[in-house]
Amino acid sequence: MKSFAEYNPIVITVWFFSVTGVAMFCNYPLLMLMSLCGAVIFFLMRNGLSHGREHLFFFILFLILALANPLVSHNGKTVLFVMNHNPVTLEAALYGVNSAAMIIGVLYWLRSFTQIMTSEKLLYITGALSPKLSLVLSMALRFVPLFSRQSAKINNAQIAMGLYKDDNIIDDIKGRSRVFSILITWALENGIITADSMEARGFGACRRTQLRRFRFSVRDTAFLILTLLLLAVTAAAAGTKSLSFVFYPSITAENPDLLGIAGLITYGLLIFLPVIIETEVSLRWKYLRSEI
Amino acid sequence: MEILAVRDLTFTYPQCSSPAVKNVSFELQRGELAVLCGATGSGKSTLLRLLKRELAPLGDKQGSVLFNGKELSELDSITSASAVGFVMQRTEQQIVTDKVWHELAFGLENLGTPPHEISRRIAEMASYFGIGSWYDRDVSELSGGQKQLLNLASVLVMQPEILILDEPTAQLDPIAAADFIATLKRLCCDFSITIIIAEHRLEDVVPICDKLLVMENGSLIAADEPRSVISELNSRPDILCGMPAASRLHAKLSGSGSCPLTVREGRSFIESSYRNTTRGLPQAARCSSDAAAMEFSSIYFRYSRDSKDILDGLSIKIYEREIFCILGGNGSGKTTALSVGAGLLKPYSGSIRVFGKKLKDYKNRSLYRECLAMLPQDVQTVFLRNTVREELDECGAVLSELPFDLSPLLDKHPYDLSGGQQQLTALAKVLAAKPKLLLLDEPTKGLDAAAKQGIISVIRSLKERGVTVAIVTHDVEFAAVCADRCAMFFGGRIVSDGVPNEFFSRNSFYTTAVSRMTRGHFDNAVTLSDAAELCRINGRKELPCS
Repeated sequence: MKSFAEYNPIVITVWFFSVTGVAMFCNYPLLMLMSLCGAVIFFLMRNGLSHGREHLFFFILFLILALANPLVSHNGKTVLFVMNHNPVTLEAALYGVNSAAMIIGVLYWLRSFTQIMTSEKLLYITGALSPKLSLVLSMALRFVPLFSRQSAKINNAQIAMGLYKDDNIIDDIKGRSRVFSILITWALENGIITADSMEARGFGACRRTQLRRFRFSVRDTAFLILTLLLLAVTAAAAGTKSLSFVFYPSITAENPDLLGIAGLITYGLLIFLPVIIETEVSLRWKYLRSEI
Repeated sequence: MEILAVRDLTFTYPQCSSPAVKNVSFELQRGELAVLCGATGSGKSTLLRLLKRELAPLGDKQGSVLFNGKELSELDSITSASAVGFVMQRTEQQIVTDKVWHELAFGLENLGTPPHEISRRIAEMASYFGIGSWYDRDVSELSGGQKQLLNLASVLVMQPEILILDEPTAQLDPIAAADFIATLKRLCCDFSITIIIAEHRLEDVVPICDKLLVMENGSLIAADEPRSVISELNSRPDILCGMPAASRLHAKLSGSGSCPLTVREGRSFIESSYRNTTRGLPQAARCSSDAAAMEFSSIYFRYSRDSKDILDGLSIKIYEREIFCILGGNGSGKTTALSVGAGLLKPYSGSIRVFGKKLKDYKNRSLYRECLAMLPQDVQTVFLRNTVREELDECGAVLSELPFDLSPLLDKHPYDLSGGQQQLTALAKVLAAKPKLLLLDEPTKGLDAAAKQGIISVIRSLKERGVTVAIVTHDVEFAAVCADRCAMFFGGRIVSDGVPNEFFSRNSFYTTAVSRMTRGHFDNAVTLSDAAELCRINGRKELPCS
């Protein structure tokens, strides 16, 4: 029994890219609305009502993006009003709202994605591509914080020894550039020790293998297949004429045919897969716990 | 058959006239624990590195190193990497990856071990070392002791037959170091892994070793069972000064019989051979001024709003012209207290006065001009230049005014100096600002016994010049010799303080080896010289006529 975030990282990545990919490469308003709503619900489900600032930021960004299009683009037949001798049209306004929904939706998805994909999962995925790349990333992930901590330590040491002369900017910059140059020396010096330590433990002795911490279970496989099936139907619907929506010069929408309706339903299912999983898990857990 | 045999090994670095290792021969049997000691620069590290093919330095090498009867260079690369394990001094820099589990797996991944085998072996290792609870963590969150344990575990997971350790406890506090040594002993007993360890903190490790190797100027001057080595080198105070307190006392009193190594043996040596009619030495009255150089009054500090208090109502008074040592365990907040005192961290409540003036009244960093200076724990952070000369010129230090001599080091890169030399160079930089109050954080960390003596005499001569010195340290033996007043730091505040003699004889666990040895027999004997003096005054017991 595992919640969505505990699924195999490859499966999670495929799912995320399916959801965001459809949202990015298609502009059917209903799909955009589903993507945006799904993304917000997914984010709220994971974080509850915290992260108020992020929501505010996304909301303001949404308004800016939605308003920018009609001010810049003057295509479209239905003129709402004229501003500075430029017509502002209904079509451009709606197009703006649509693309804002797309962008904000994708941003919400990516925000959740970075929360779920910890560094360890990212390394697992890069390791599947190339074990060497994964090792380099892992070393970088260790080294960057080490470097910044050492920099802070050196700064404090210099301050406490009274070696920053005065509080003027030029002295500060001079001081910091010296700190930076010794940091490079320090990094190289440490690099030698790390290299020794790697070599002493047989680095380069033969072909590397990689410890995998995530296994592919039956549930992972099922989830992956389901994701790909739903994606296929949605992509078929979005790629053909089944879901067409034209903004310019005037809004024309045909009623979606059977494939189009199927596409909408499958995309909806795709988006709500994690919600379904979480609900199922929590219900099952409640049941199991009642048995204890 | 011996597992490791070194025959007539001589090694010269390129462009050096004299060899770094001269005619060294010794053998190690399976399951032996050997300790390699010697002054800094005597060639210990070079010798150890020559025993591990991947780390062997470049240069002219003669003689042979046989591993299981086979020349080291003839081993295949996988055996060479896995059968000989090597742990270095720097805890932090040896770690390669960012997660504990990945670090454990690293060596096995290099050897091409199948993944399921890796999981099994690291699970086994994590259980044996009790790493389970921090298995998933980032390595940056670990303490120094945990990091070194991780380094050891990630070498052991490759199942080495011989383990080489180059000053593994130099960066650790005494408690973590003792734990680490105990772990080594356990490995030796439980798995008969052969261990050779270079150390200069010998108090814990000499009593448990089977063989003591002593190096001097590149040659091996002794290689035998520890008691006989110590009795043999009785007349060499420079080598003896790092040995366990019991054996130093034995040597100082030129005692007969077998040499005691542990506190228990030392105690029975004193009780069986010396009377105790005079129980204590007269105490010199403390003479220092009543003016406070630094005064903390109920300081509260925490790192972030929701964390717990690190300093919890801390009040200290450090008087002018005294050497004040703050002792305490890891994570008790000693270093934080020092940083708060130096104005690097702001307490959220309470006030600090430096020479009677509030810390926040020192504007524009005037605090650090001819008033207060702090030397951090990691002295490497003090250096910014490429040579010692540039370092000293930059801060305007005058060589002739220093209480020690740096002139032979002037053209070296500060990073190439030994720990003791780095400490002195950093001290020279700090003293250039002519501070009246000097704060030192662990000045004896990673130093050998001789360098420690050097630091002690420097600190004393600074005191003579009217400098107040406040020291944060783990090192009980150092504090007992050096301090005018000691304080015990626990739970974010001072729980007891006093002059060293009283302070250490009141403590029963957190105290010097000599105090533990003489407790009950003598009063207030804390340092080696106290105990030796008392023994001399009392004289030997008459041996019953036989």
